[in-house]
Amino acid sequence: MTGGANPSSDVLKELENILDSDPFIDEVGFIHPSQFSELVKEVGSSLKDGLMESEGSEANTSDSVFWSRDHKLGISTTALLPLYRAAKHAFMEAIRQYQVLSESRGERDDSQDGNASRCTSTSISILETDIMKHSRVLLLLSCDFGTAWNFRKVVVSKIQQLHLYMDELSLSALVLSYSPKSERAWNHRRWVIKMIAGMCPNLQETVERESEFVEKLAEKSKMNYRAWNHRSWLVSYMSGEQVLSELNKSQDWAGLHVADNSCFHYRVRLLLKILAGFDKLDAGASSATSLRELWKKELNWVEMLIKRYVGREALWLHRRFLSLSWIKNFTTQVHSNSCSSCPNNMMNVEVFMDNELQLCHSCCTIPDNDFEDYQAQATFSATYIMWLVRQAAGSLPIELQKKLQENELKTVVKNVCPDKSFLWDTFNASI
Amino acid sequence: MGELAVDKHVKFILTVEKDKDSFESIVMEHIRLNGAYWGLTTLDILGKLNAVDQDEVISWMMQCQHESGGFGGNIGHDPHVLYTLSAIQVLALFDKIDVLDVDKVSNYIAGLQNEDGSFSGDMWGEIDTRFSYIAICSLALLKHLDKINVERAVNYIVSCKNLDGGFGCTPGAESHAGQIFCCVGALAITGSLHHVDKDLLGWWLCERQVKSGGLNGRPEKLPDVCYSWWVLSSLIMIDRVHWIDKEKLIRFILDSQDKENGGISDRPGDAVDIFHTYFGVAGLSLLEYRGLKAIDPAYALPVDVVNKILIGR
Repeated sequence: MTGGANPSSDVLKELENILDSDPFIDEVGFIHPSQFSELVKEVGSSLKDGLMESEGSEANTSDSVFWSRDHKLGISTTALLPLYRAAKHAFMEAIRQYQVLSESRGERDDSQDGNASRCTSTSISILETDIMKHSRVLLLLSCDFGTAWNFRKVVVSKIQQLHLYMDELSLSALVLSYSPKSERAWNHRRWVIKMIAGMCPNLQETVERESEFVEKLAEKSKMNYRAWNHRSWLVSYMSGEQVLSELNKSQDWAGLHVADNSCFHYRVRLLLKILAGFDKLDAGASSATSLRELWKKELNWVEMLIKRYVGREALWLHRRFLSLSWIKNFTTQVHSNSCSSCPNNMMNVEVFMDNELQLCHSCCTIPDNDFEDYQAQATFSATYIMWLVRQAAGSLPIELQKKLQENELKTVVKNVCPDKSFLWDTFNASI
Repeated sequence: MGELAVDKHVKFILTVEKDKDSFESIVMEHIRLNGAYWGLTTLDILGKLNAVDQDEVISWMMQCQHESGGFGGNIGHDPHVLYTLSAIQVLALFDKIDVLDVDKVSNYIAGLQNEDGSFSGDMWGEIDTRFSYIAICSLALLKHLDKINVERAVNYIVSCKNLDGGFGCTPGAESHAGQIFCCVGALAITGSLHHVDKDLLGWWLCERQVKSGGLNGRPEKLPDVCYSWWVLSSLIMIDRVHWIDKEKLIRFILDSQDKENGGISDRPGDAVDIFHTYFGVAGLSLLEYRGLKAIDPAYALPVDVVNKILIGR
């Protein structure tokens, strides 16, 4: 279609062949020519399956353009522009012809001309193969080229075969391996999963695989909004059991990545799903207790992290969420029965708030050597307690509100973070 | 503190537009219409829109339009609301919205509203509050908000509000300053800001200012000039802009300029691009930096352009 005489279309064909011959390529890198020759030398020409040997006279040029081994693909940066141009030209030409033919087939179907229709079908399926080949290269070079993703959707949704959808997940994964923020690649993934859900309603396995995929990717691409949003999107497809298991599984990761707010938000999403499910069930006392224990465990865990990792904003924000929901869902204001005034009963809102104030005070002390982290810790703890009291005001008894107002909290805020003391006014107005 | 290098930035924008030979510029060709909006709005704020040939821009842009009424990011690319809004905004800058078949464009956008009030970005169905903003902003500029169910659109946006007062891209998604701008902007345009707890959201937004004076878009992230627009415009719309240190933010933006070759980067010392140049200049305009045209925080267009459309000058 693009004419064999054009050298850049030969490079395109070569790359398409490499991709066809190894469907398991899971990493692509763009390599500077100087590093490229190093790489080729290092591996040595004896590795036949490693170096992509091109046919005939182009051997020299292509050896310095592509490198592939162990399912990793390297493309020399010198080839990027001509490759992109060739792929785009071939792709645009293929979709143009495809649209013309699809329209004319529509017309011919009406006229019932059997032979012509068969002939068009063959041409259409050849064009579909071309579209898939060219768009793949195009997307490897320009990951947010939406039209290329779209035409892949057109083709695979026409054929409707599970393995083709799986291939789309692989291509999206390949693109995300080096462009982890590619919006279109993430969108494509969700579209594919929705299509798979339409074919096989039991999505548990897919959901699990996707969740692991995000976790692995998040390791390399910190605080990636789109990645975590994808994982969060999966929650709506999860069973109750899966939600709990995700909560368990993501805990270790979160503990090792205490600055990754997105991971803590993911936990918020899971916890809220559990809470919502609980309300609906109107469950008995035992599950109420286990839900409370779950929340308490999370609160204790975050407190431990806050003390261990000084000055981490994400941890304090997670605590804002946990404490506010604790007060709203699990505490009581009345001193009535048995154990409510025990010093360890977090279900008594006064006891709980006392604990939080103590935590705040202990974090407001800045050592003499005045580390920046301790300054941050003091600011976060002071704004934490102000925020919590403001948001929970409706759920706190009047006496407690007064006590908090008279408390030295205001002085603490003014001393620790004078630039945030205007927040005191909004806080004060609300209680 | 250095000054805003107006002439250098104008020159940078005009050069970027002409660069069609580097791989870096070519792989952005699918979003060229967004680039046109960023570049041209910056020029207008700087008072230099006459440096471009508007007939040439409009004639290219109209070739990006599809039968459906939607615009692609460039000629031959599929339509999406992301580029449709840019096209409307660019035409607004030139006071040329009348070249559009307004009914057709607004039908395209209105056709993407879903049952629950949300909007898809195109026929493939991805949903995002950014698309809600785009639909509402576009239809307001085209004076066709009556073509959608505004109440449902607002309810969907409100359903994306989090306990921290911020908004995410879908219900339950993490708060993000860019998404907050979209949600607050859409609520402002539809007169629905009463759904926002202004102190709570203002609290989250003002905590985005870091030591250097720059703003980040989410907790624990590095500051980035583009949030000078997203955080700042949101704070203005909810009347809490006095909660951040404006002087420090101005200094952060000015420090992110390339004073030799023009352009603004995400933060001091990094490579410049047209996206951050726009957001830096637009941010300075919101901060009432001298010599700049005022920009509207909801429509993301110069105030005089918006007034001309909405109140007929």
